[in-house]
This record gives sequence, structure tokens and C-alpha cells, in this order.
Amino acid sequence: MTNQSKSQKRKKINWAPYLLILPSFVYLIVFFAWPMVQSLVLTVREDDVLLGVRDEPTQSSRVVGTLPRGSVLEISDQQANIISEDELDEPGLITELWFQIQGEDDTGMMVTGWAPERRFRIRETDENDRPIVATVRPVIGVDADPRTPVYSEPNESSEVIAHLEAQIPVDIIDQMTLEIWFQVSGEPAGEAVTGWVQSRYIRTFPESTEGRVDRGDTGQFTLRYIQRMFNDRFFWPAFRTTLLLMVIIIPIQFILAIIMALVIQANLKGSSIFLGIFSIALGVSDLAVGIVWYAIFTNFGYLNSILQGLGLISAPITYLSADTRQWIIIAIVLAEVWRATSLVMVIVVSGMQSISSDVLEAAEVFGATLWQRVKHVILPMLKPSLQVALILRTILALQVFSVVMAIGGGDVVTVLARETYRQYYDMRNFNMAAAYASFILILSMVTSVFYLRAVRTQEEVSG
Amino acid sequence: MKKNSEIKNNKIEAAPDVMAIHHKMKRMAQLRRGLAYLVGSLISLWILIPIIFITSMALTTPDIVRSYPKSILPFIPFSLDTLRFFLGSYGIVDGIINSLIVAAITIVLSTVIAAPAGYAISRYMFRGRDVFRLSILAVRAFPVVVLSIPLAVVFLQLGIYDNVFSLALMHTALVLPTAILVLGSVFASIPFELEEAAMVFGCTPVQAFRHVVVPLVLPGIAAAAIFSFVLSWNEVFAASILTIQNRTLPAQVLATLSYSPDPYKFAGSFFMLIPAIIFIFIIRRYLFNMWGQVTK
Repeated sequence: MTNQSKSQKRKKINWAPYLLILPSFVYLIVFFAWPMVQSLVLTVREDDVLLGVRDEPTQSSRVVGTLPRGSVLEISDQQANIISEDELDEPGLITELWFQIQGEDDTGMMVTGWAPERRFRIRETDENDRPIVATVRPVIGVDADPRTPVYSEPNESSEVIAHLEAQIPVDIIDQMTLEIWFQVSGEPAGEAVTGWVQSRYIRTFPESTEGRVDRGDTGQFTLRYIQRMFNDRFFWPAFRTTLLLMVIIIPIQFILAIIMALVIQANLKGSSIFLGIFSIALGVSDLAVGIVWYAIFTNFGYLNSILQGLGLISAPITYLSADTRQWIIIAIVLAEVWRATSLVMVIVVSGMQSISSDVLEAAEVFGATLWQRVKHVILPMLKPSLQVALILRTILALQVFSVVMAIGGGDVVTVLARETYRQYYDMRNFNMAAAYASFILILSMVTSVFYLRAVRTQEEVSG
Repeated sequence: MKKNSEIKNNKIEAAPDVMAIHHKMKRMAQLRRGLAYLVGSLISLWILIPIIFITSMALTTPDIVRSYPKSILPFIPFSLDTLRFFLGSYGIVDGIINSLIVAAITIVLSTVIAAPAGYAISRYMFRGRDVFRLSILAVRAFPVVVLSIPLAVVFLQLGIYDNVFSLALMHTALVLPTAILVLGSVFASIPFELEEAAMVFGCTPVQAFRHVVVPLVLPGIAAAAIFSFVLSWNEVFAASILTIQNRTLPAQVLATLSYSPDPYKFAGSFFMLIPAIIFIFIIRRYLFNMWGQVTK
């Protein structure tokens, strides 16, 4: 009412509500929408499988071709080039140290320029072990120029500004770590590709001009992970068990929740006590509940203790073992029903409170039995609540994890979320983990849409 | 709420056959009440007995925990040894501290972000309001499993993996939808007329909010904060995926689950259950209100 009168008063757009929801909107985009998309991307994208081969030994130059991961290549030349500070941590770098030196060149001029560290012998260092004075090494070789070239930039492709004679002393002003670029040629798929690549992507072999592409720098669309997931030996058991648990647990929960709601609705003297007890499990940890039911079903647990106390068994029965899958499933069902029914109950009770009591009284006065009232009055009026609860419970059931881990250990009886965890945690395969996660995501979406449509078509048929 | 008993208490002068029907209805009502008590008590037992079991396991000696057959009578002998053994185990105290830090950050972040949104959806009628509410509900139901994996990859790249703060960012995302809905229902329960009255008497909208709404919603905000705490305290999957060294309590218990002894497990379960049960019991009214609003 107040909302309506308010909107009637102000005809022009009020920006206040948009500003108020903006932070949560942005947060949910960053931490929900984006990871969801990212999960799908991880599923169908193979990272670092293609290596771009470049025209020049710089990151800004044109990519002339690609070499797939693992392909063999021929190294014909190498050159050092500048990399940024934070790239120094990259794995597999082959680096070269360059000095900025100041000294007398072969014509007697003082020059300042850059040359690689291998051209010098260090003579003096400062207190931090940084070299400050060095002498030039002679270039050895039959036809080689014995002088050392000095470059204007820390880069062999820059201009040579002077030459240094062997053995002369120079001051070292600065130093810089450069990464080697290799000039390579390879023939993936019969077509020759020649160009420059960074050392971090290449595995080289001593005494050989041959190399191999260790990893690429760009990704590629792939169905490999999805295929691997379907062929994974745990996939079908996990999928089947998840669906089985869902199909058993959800009906039990809804029936129990409606019974709980009817008890509360009966307006008994102690109904607030009942409500309090029924909502105990509302916020309990699923891991903790899994352990509680493990305590009941384990060999020396409560169930065996009670049965033996009653004289029904003489020795403990093993419930939670590889040969007794059905008992593990039963224990998981009980734990999940125990834990998550209260959520459904809360939704149903709050839905019932909005049903007008006149309607219920009218049904009762006209002699409707309890079952008739539930079927023809309560359930139809609770439809929106039940729909919300059903979607929520289904999606949560698809994620069942800790209870399964606590009761069955997660190997004999496995579920989809447990396989996500296994791929991530035990196998360290992020893409496969993402494939499982995305599978759960898609199942959740499909079932939600299915429920929403099913309810709508029902309305159309009956209405 | 009106009851059929009110009808019965009215003194009606009526024909004998009507009186007979009246008596029959009264009997049936009694029968139904009895049935409701019976069913309610049975369900209560079903809920309470497992809690009694785990409590008596956690509050006794480790020897009793290992013994068989177990006594159905709880707490014999009463001892804190099992709990002490659990708390003294590797990584547990650190785990509790980490859990508390994560929960505290989650509470602050989620309240700061959710309160304005809750206010907006309860006070303003704006284009896209229903879409926003629905998408929040949809998000509330979204699989944590799906979010954890890509976030782990990104956190690794950014160098904030295995960190209580980044885990708190994730938990905030988890609790945010519920926090918005709870706070929305809290704001909705305060009549807008109060604010209007304040503005009529010369308050600016901000002043009206500060002096009229804030004092009234503080309990509700506390309830939302408690709810955020419980969700974060319980959360296992994302915590296990996003941390290795800095585990929270549930992540630590899960990681050692396959080789830890029973007394450790039972005490751990008890330790995780109790705060959640107490806190949710305190704020249950707000959860009912929230779902009442959502499913309307």
C-alpha cells in the first residue's frame, strides 16, 4: 500500500533504489555470474595448448603461426630480450643477465651501453654482492672479432654503439635480467612455421639444436574434458546415486514437512515448543550431521547397541562397508531427511500462515476430512511455497557432499559433488573438476525449468 | 488466529440433532488434537534423539566412545576428555580461529552490502524489483560446488589462494542472497508511515532513516548477522577447495575424516552443531518471516 502510494506520488524515475541495490548487484555478478560462466569455460577450454610463433623476438610482434604443445622444433638462433619484473617468476625461463657498463671503447671514447654478463669477468662487488667493476673477456674463435659490441639498449637487436677491447676495465652501472627468445622452425601438420618464441614455452636439450614445445600461450576449444568425464569410472555411479538420493529423499521430506506443518497448524497448547524443536535442524552443518548418523550406524554405534540391548542381535552388524551399499544409502537418506526437512517445513509453515483461516474453517464446517482438506484446500493454496521449496531442495540435493563423505567415506557410495572434489583435490585436475561442477549446474537449471514448466502446464490443464 | 473452539464455546440453543453433530465434532476435534500431539511428539523424538546421542558421545571419556554396546543413558560418566582431546588435536584451534575470522568478515561485508538492497526491495516499487528479487532467490539456490572451482583457479592466479580473506569473499557471496531477503523482510515489517511521519515533522529522509528505522531494525540486522555467521561456520565445500594451510574448522575435520578416530569425529560434530543450533533457535522467527515474504 505504502509502496503504491509512493510510486503514484513520484512519476519520474527514482534512482535511489537502483543505487541501493547496486553494491549487491555488482557483488553477485562478480561472485556468482562470472564464476558460473568461468566454470563452463574451464570445462570446454584447454589452456596453453597452442604456442604462438612470432615475427620478431618481442611480445608485441605479429603472430605468424602456431605450434601445438609437444611438437618438435629446430632451434636456429637465440636472442635476449627485456621482460617485466613480475614475469621473472614464470616457470621454465632461460635468462641472461645484461650489464649497463661505462668504459673506454676501442677508439678511446668513454661510452655507456649494454652488453651481456658472459662478456665480463667480475672484479669488484659492493656490499650487496652487486658487481660494480669488471674486465672484458676476449672473444675466442678463429674468425671472430675479438672485440665486444656494446648495445644502446639491453637487447641484441638494438644499435651497436661501440666496441670494447679485451681486458679493459669497465664500471657496471646497472644490470637487468633478460629472457632468451629462440628462433625456431617446426612442421605441425605438414606446414612449416618459422619464427621467434620465448624460452619459457620451450624445452631444450643439451648438445642439440632440437627442442620441444613444453606449453602453449593460448587455449583452444575442446570436448576432451567432457568426454573424459563421461568415461570416468566414477561418473555413472555418482550420477546414479545422486539421482537416486534425490528421488528418495525429496518425497519423504515433503510429506514429513507437511505433517510437521499440520501439527503446528493444529494450534496445540505446546505448538511453539514443537515449532522450536522442529526448527532445530534448520542451521546445522551437513558435515556434523553426517558424523551424527555415522555414530548411529558405525559398527560399535547406537543402532547396534540398541539392537543388542533388545536382544535382537548377538554381535554387531557391519552397515557401512563396501558390501553394504544399501545401508550406506539408507543412512545418507536418514541423515538428509533429518537435516534438511526443517527448511521445507519453514517454507510450508510460512506459506500456510498466509492461507486464510476462514477457508480452512469453511472446509471443516462442510465436513471435509483431514485428507480432503490437505488435498483440495491446503496443497493447492501452498503451491507457490511448495514450488520454491521443491526447486531449492532439488538443487541442494544435487550438491549433497559432506553427509556422503562422513557416512560412507565417499568411495563406495559416491555423488557428483564428491567427484568434483576428487578431481580438484586428489587429481589436481581443475578442468575435470569444472566439468563435474558445470554438469551439476546444468542439471540444476534443467530441473528448475522443468518444475516451473510442469507447474504452469498443470495450471493450464486445470484452469 | 481463529479456532473452531470459539464456535464451540458459543452457547447456542439448538435442536437435539444439531447438538448431536456438535458433540460428534467436539469428539473428533479432541481425537485430532490427541493425534497431533502424538505425531508432534514422535517427530520431536526423531529430531532430538540423534542430538542426545552425539552430545553424550562428546561429553564423556574417549574409552566410553570406543566401548560397545553403548549405554542409551547419556553422559555416563560425564567428562570433558573427548572434547579436550578434539580441541588439542592438530589444526583444530587454528581452524576455530580461522572459522571465526572468516565468519566475522562475512558478517560485516554481507550486512554492509545487503542492508541497502534489503531496504530498496522493501520500500521502493521500481522497475526490475521483481526480477531482482527472483534472481536473488535463484542465486540463493545456486550450487556452491560450481562457484568454488573457478574461484579457486582465479584466486591461485591472483595469489590470494589459501587465505581466510578470500574465503570470506566467497562466503559473503553465499550468504548475500539470504541476507538481502531477511533484511528485506525486516524493513518491510516497519511501517513506512513511521518514516513518513518523521519526515512530516521535518526530518530529511536520511534523518528519518537514522532515527526511526535504524533503532527498530537493529534486532533484525543482528538476526541476519547471526544467520550469516551460521552459514559461514557450517560451510564445508568451498572452505575445503579454497584453503590448504589456513583451513576452517569444518574443512579441517573433513580433510582428516578418513583417518581420524571416532572420539575426534564425534567431538568435532558436537562442536560444529551446538553454536549453529543455539543461534538458529534465537533467530528462527526471522527465517519464518523471510520465507513468508518470499513465497507470497
